Amino acid sequence: MTHWTLRLPFVSLRLSARGSAIALALALMIAAGALLALRLGSYPLAPGTWGAILGGAGSDIEQMILLDHRLPRILTALGAGACFGLSGAMFQTMLRNPLASPDVIGFNAGASCGALVAIIAAGSAATGGTILLGALLGAFCTAVLVTGLAWRNGLQAERLVLIGLGVGFALAALSDLLLSRTDARTAADMTKWLIGTLNARDWQDVTLVWAGLALLSPMLVWLHFPLARLGLPEDLAGGLGLRLSQLRLTITALGIVLATLAVCSAGPLPFVAFAAGPIARALLRNGQPALLGAAAIGALLVLAADTAARMIVTLHLPAGVFTALIGGPVMIWLLVTQLRKGKL
Amino acid sequence: MTQPASLYADQPTRQDAPQDARLRARTLSVAYAQASILSDLTLDIPDGEITVIVGPNACGKSTLLRSLARLQRLSGGQVLLDGKSIHHQRSRGVAQRLAILPQSPTAPEGLTVHDLVSRGRTPHQSALQQWSRQDARAVEQALERTGMAPLAQRSLEALSGGQRQRAWIAMALAQETDILLLDEPTTYLDLPHQIELLTLVQSLNQDSGQTVAMVLHDINLAARFASHMIALRSGEVFAKGRPEQVVTRENMAEVFGLKCQIISDPVHATPHVIPE
Repeated sequence: MTHWTLRLPFVSLRLSARGSAIALALALMIAAGALLALRLGSYPLAPGTWGAILGGAGSDIEQMILLDHRLPRILTALGAGACFGLSGAMFQTMLRNPLASPDVIGFNAGASCGALVAIIAAGSAATGGTILLGALLGAFCTAVLVTGLAWRNGLQAERLVLIGLGVGFALAALSDLLLSRTDARTAADMTKWLIGTLNARDWQDVTLVWAGLALLSPMLVWLHFPLARLGLPEDLAGGLGLRLSQLRLTITALGIVLATLAVCSAGPLPFVAFAAGPIARALLRNGQPALLGAAAIGALLVLAADTAARMIVTLHLPAGVFTALIGGPVMIWLLVTQLRKGKL
Repeated sequence: MTQPASLYADQPTRQDAPQDARLRARTLSVAYAQASILSDLTLDIPDGEITVIVGPNACGKSTLLRSLARLQRLSGGQVLLDGKSIHHQRSRGVAQRLAILPQSPTAPEGLTVHDLVSRGRTPHQSALQQWSRQDARAVEQALERTGMAPLAQRSLEALSGGQRQRAWIAMALAQETDILLLDEPTTYLDLPHQIELLTLVQSLNQDSGQTVAMVLHDINLAARFASHMIALRSGEVFAKGRPEQVVTRENMAEVFGLKCQIISDPVHATPHVIPE
């Protein structure tokens, strides 16, 4: 396995050639996928005309389709997917259990439930800010509840996963109950959002998710170093001088914020946070947390699901149906391999 | 049966005077939910020696080792590293002086030996300085000294039990600490591999003067490789000293409830337990 060493006065790194090649390939796939998604749709736009439309030369309808519909939708899909992927990989690595992703342990359900409460409470005054706040509160409360219930002389990942699953189901039921309190139209919209959809995204969603990612990325770069060591047994990580409680709190908070950003912009798309990490790690096969890989896979998964949802117009299926179609088999594969190794 | 003491009359005398110890425990106590695990332990881990901690199952050996590495919350007393309470020192600073290898550790899937050993450099690295020349050199050396260099690019799962354990030791070596704590490093190894591993630990101690403290199950191996022994019984120090002072008929009866004869190992002249 070839490695490159980078040494500058204040920075030194060791990069694997294989990892870099995979990162490059994933970046190319995202670019190609985004371009393809931009082109596809019931109103085809030839790539040759994009430049003109962006420059303001196209017809009104072309302007609207490209700038108000497809571009924000695709960018939101990529951003939300990356957030889900990062969040999932962080929790899975920290808890040393591939099942421990925010969608499995109920954090996404908490975020969407919180958002729903905010929407209903604020009524017509609901803005992106109130919804984000509600979702963050919901997710953090869920995290406190799940960890509190799972705590017994420390945290065991298996117990956390099972309790998180239960809390997630309870929160889904609570969301249904809340929906029945709203009028039929809002309820119909909300139901779609609760499955996860990227219908009618605008630039506000794009800004939310990408600004969030940009703000958090320095912390992600910083946390990658300790995260790569948290995959080791707890005593060993502690013996290497990592401050475990502090790190776990930071990683949990960051993971929750990332998952909430994604939920607010695309709804609680099932299985993206869960599947992105294991797929990325299976590609890299180097025992690393694969944060960047998980972000890329998450982005690709959501983009593919949303494009599929857009192509099958007659059915009006939300994107969440397609992420579940992709993520479900990944979960079965993981459960089978984990069970075979007796690690569940 | 001959009296054990007379057997060692012609042995090179080891120092009996109080020795320097950078790692000490003072009236150390640990309790989990009211149940006392360790009570009022006072002991030294003498510098440059191999200390082996023995005792029956559940006597608190691993808890003692974890406490010495500040991984355990104490209910009383303190652990001193270089004269200062270890729990009040920076984790990173402690990790630069003291390494611990827990019992049968597991690694993330797919991790190569080289990457694992590199993890040992953590206390010397940061998010920005992840691979200095010193890091590369220390990892190279640790791989060489444990004979793992030819297997550096293998993934851990592809190794035999003995090789895997040597890889973990290499990781602890790459940490370049003066003190090395090992919790039952020979678990799941067959006898030849146990000997191979303990010989490796012995040579590390002899070549670089690294202080070693380890928990071992096998009394005879403990007596052979230790220069200092500590026998624990239900959370208390029952005996400590040179192997021939600790491995006696009376102590074995008291600590393990084992009736036995002690003979001198004909090859290494260390005490050898023959259960009756």
